Amino acid sequence: MDLFFDVLGALFSFDHFVFLIAGILLGLTVGILPGLGGTTALAILLPFVSAFEPASALALMIGVLAPTTTSDTFPAVLIGVPGTAGSQATVLDGYPMAKRGEAARALSAAFLSSMIGGVWGAIILTFAIVFAKPLILAVGFGEQFLLIVLALIMVGALTGANLVKGLASCLIGLIIGAVGLAQITAEPRLTFGTLYLIEGVPLVVVGMGLFAIPEIVSLLQSKASITEKLQLKGQWLKGFRDVVANWFLVFRCSTIGVIVGALPGLGGTVVDWIAYSHLRQTARDTANIGKGDIRGVIAPESANNAKEGGALIPTILFGIPGSGNKVLLLGGFLLVGIQPGIEMVTTQLDLTYTIIWSLAIANIIGAAICIVLARPMSRITTVPYFILAPVLIALIFFASYQVGRDWNNFAGLMAFGLLGVIMKSYGWSRPALLIGFFLSSKIELLSYQTSAVYGMSFLWRTGSLILIGITVVTLWLLLKQKMGDETQASGRRQQMAQIRVTLGFLILPVAMTMAVAGLDYRSSLYPLGVSAILAVALIVVAFSQIRARSATINGTPLPQNFVMRGVFAQEGDFFPQFKEFANLVLFFLLIVVFGFPIATVIFITTFIGLRSRRHIPLAFGLAIALLSIMWVLASLLTLQYPSGWIATVVDLPWWLSGY
Amino acid sequence: MKLWKSVISCAMGLTLSAGVASADVDFSGQTITVVVPFGEGGGTSQVFGFFRPFLQEYLPGNPLVQLLNVPGGGSIRGANQFHNTQTPDGTYLLATSTSTIVNQAARNPLVEYDLTAYEPVVLLGAETHWFTSASVIDEPYDFAPILERPLALYALNSPSSADLFHVWTFHTLGIEGARPIPGLSSSAGFQAFLRGELQISSHGTSNYLRQVQPGLESGEFMDLMSFGLIQEDGTVARMPYSPDTPTFPEQYERIHGTALAGDQLEAYRSINAIWNQASKAMFLPTGTPDDIVEVWRDAFRAILEDPDFIAQAAEQLGPTDVIIGEAARGIVASASILSDATITQLNEALAANNFTYRIE
Repeated sequence: MDLFFDVLGALFSFDHFVFLIAGILLGLTVGILPGLGGTTALAILLPFVSAFEPASALALMIGVLAPTTTSDTFPAVLIGVPGTAGSQATVLDGYPMAKRGEAARALSAAFLSSMIGGVWGAIILTFAIVFAKPLILAVGFGEQFLLIVLALIMVGALTGANLVKGLASCLIGLIIGAVGLAQITAEPRLTFGTLYLIEGVPLVVVGMGLFAIPEIVSLLQSKASITEKLQLKGQWLKGFRDVVANWFLVFRCSTIGVIVGALPGLGGTVVDWIAYSHLRQTARDTANIGKGDIRGVIAPESANNAKEGGALIPTILFGIPGSGNKVLLLGGFLLVGIQPGIEMVTTQLDLTYTIIWSLAIANIIGAAICIVLARPMSRITTVPYFILAPVLIALIFFASYQVGRDWNNFAGLMAFGLLGVIMKSYGWSRPALLIGFFLSSKIELLSYQTSAVYGMSFLWRTGSLILIGITVVTLWLLLKQKMGDETQASGRRQQMAQIRVTLGFLILPVAMTMAVAGLDYRSSLYPLGVSAILAVALIVVAFSQIRARSATINGTPLPQNFVMRGVFAQEGDFFPQFKEFANLVLFFLLIVVFGFPIATVIFITTFIGLRSRRHIPLAFGLAIALLSIMWVLASLLTLQYPSGWIATVVDLPWWLSGY
Repeated sequence: MKLWKSVISCAMGLTLSAGVASADVDFSGQTITVVVPFGEGGGTSQVFGFFRPFLQEYLPGNPLVQLLNVPGGGSIRGANQFHNTQTPDGTYLLATSTSTIVNQAARNPLVEYDLTAYEPVVLLGAETHWFTSASVIDEPYDFAPILERPLALYALNSPSSADLFHVWTFHTLGIEGARPIPGLSSSAGFQAFLRGELQISSHGTSNYLRQVQPGLESGEFMDLMSFGLIQEDGTVARMPYSPDTPTFPEQYERIHGTALAGDQLEAYRSINAIWNQASKAMFLPTGTPDDIVEVWRDAFRAILEDPDFIAQAAEQLGPTDVIIGEAARGIVASASILSDATITQLNEALAANNFTYRIE
């Protein structure tokens, strides 16, 4: 117990606290920007965390993750666009309240319930850690294997509009994760003889490609500043009183948040909807819900912060991520030398306590900042796209190069970026793919380890039976209720494109099957098995889409079942977004010629200048600021930037020329 | 701190051979780049990151020392980059670990570097310890019950990594029931051992002291052996911090009744060089002038005497065998170039465990 409070003291020491605050500010900022959330922020940070000592790096990473679901309420309430996936349900009542002139009331209630939920999550996490040791020792190879399979099924089934498409997204992730050296026999799989693919594409590059690029591209395509109108009217105190009056709702929804967060694979995208439907089922008067009822803000907001504490339980104890951002958090753990598992509750307990305290403090400080600085922070939502987008593009290119300082990462970033745009616009689940990608090697190894140690008898162990029971019940409960709205692609052309994309994904299982066919069975069994299941899933999706298409053409009603529901769901149009994707290629070519720092200056100034003359001075200011930041970073962290062709012709200072 | 000193002092015998420092070498105002072919958080970065400030203090002219991480391909990418860009002026070095040596020793076709061609500055040793649980044997160091078991499972990361030496170790001891469970890091393997899923586990020095010794004292674990510390005269000694633990050659003799000899002894020496003696190492490029090499070695010699370093090293590195000087060259050679007889033995051990991977 002494250690528990010693860690708190250490966290308030200057050098740790600076990291925590830096993390919180970054987390709050990305939370406000729609589409960007903890996953992107962590991906950008990850290449640098290893420069810090573990406790500081943890404070930084948790500081980023914790408050994103606090500040994402700003756009949800003010403009009706969720800042992250966790605040989709907040929009339903928060936005009508803002239109009624009660934005301040909605925001203050949201911030206070976010804070309470977040702290409650940290408290439950603390208790979970205290009793964790016997739990970890009870979870052997077989239980781990099941945990992962169940995580994949749940994330696949619940993060997409369509169940089969979600599961197929998981399987695509598993196949991509199987590229590289087979662990057991050390044979290369689908590496095309390259050194780069032997270890697989770095996690950070995959994360940024899948999550950041599609959001930037649709930002470019929508060509809007995030918001034009802004009204911060209403009474701040009234929101606080609402939370106090509904204290029992806050308590229940926080608890739901922790439990749902702790179920592996569920994570952030559904927790707000679960809390919201809990409110609808339990409230006495439901007349106002959905039309601007304060309880409709309080319920999802207390749940979406609480889930972080819950989600950290499987992350810390078993190394199994509950959501996309936990995948990257685990990547960060490994970078600073932290192994999830028994050591986190024995020899490295101090680090676990650092995580818990960081989580609690970040929630409190994050909410406090949102309340005190509400006016300036809400103005972040007015930054025009032509300033935001080029800066973000430069940032993610920079961060992905830093992973191993490898030019190949640019190719990986653009390839996964394109995949992300395709998946987003055609309704395939990106979190499911990322989690599948991350867990692929684990599940392959665990299947061998389980069969070597137990054979099939592992299924009859108590832990296994409990896990199977939990999954069946959760899936049944969740699939019963329909979550969120679904948008169906109506145009025939779009439906055809959807079918083509589905069939196009068949390339993956086919290529993998051809690549591993001749290998030893210990290298080929797993990829062949996954390929077969993926092929079946894709054919089922394609078949349902063809059926749904002919139904729309004939005007006959669609059969409503899990396989058909949302099979054409999509987000935005692909081709306009694909055009904007060219900006990324352009930037890459600039880097090839000029090297990264100079290319950044050229790209940002021309990009902004071409779209708004008024902002040209600002563009130059921005470029100079970025250049100085890069120069300082280069000296502090001994960074090297990608050097371009120009460095072979002109003599440049070392940090511009790469050496 | 005692532990650190005791091992240092036994190694210093090897180290104080040649000591003709040159006053002409001066790194004032220069930046020294140490290529680390691993990620920032890895063990090699941590170890040499710990030495970094001391090097800045003890190298003549107090140069800026920076670590350049070039990870990828199990350290092949970074080491190849060093090989192809080396400048022998004393400001460009390569840090390696066991994996870097294994890649060359196992004749990986992607390897372009040749560690035997470089100037070794310092070798930092490690030790491997094996232990089991009290439910498997009643007396410490007793392999007899394990020899009778049909199965004794242990963790193995990948047969193409240094873990392949575990396979050789059990094969050479003649423990037929020993079977590797692949894909487990040493930390994951230790957890499975704690859960009772694996019967034999192993750890390097620092984790052995931190995580295993408490269990040995409480009677929960039973110690089996360490790989052994090769002395300057070629004999194998027990680790100074666990003087009761027999070494691999001792256990071999106990099981087979004859001393380790011939090809097996040669294989043992090579594996010991890769795994233990040159666990972490630092090299200057081919053709670096002798006076520069000596300045570097002297800097390490002086660091080892620094009381601040000794105090911190006990905490940060744990007991480490240090080899500086020409003795290192022979060890690197025996580690990087395996004889055909050794390779045959390793391949036989792999085949006996149904692995398809072979050293060719």
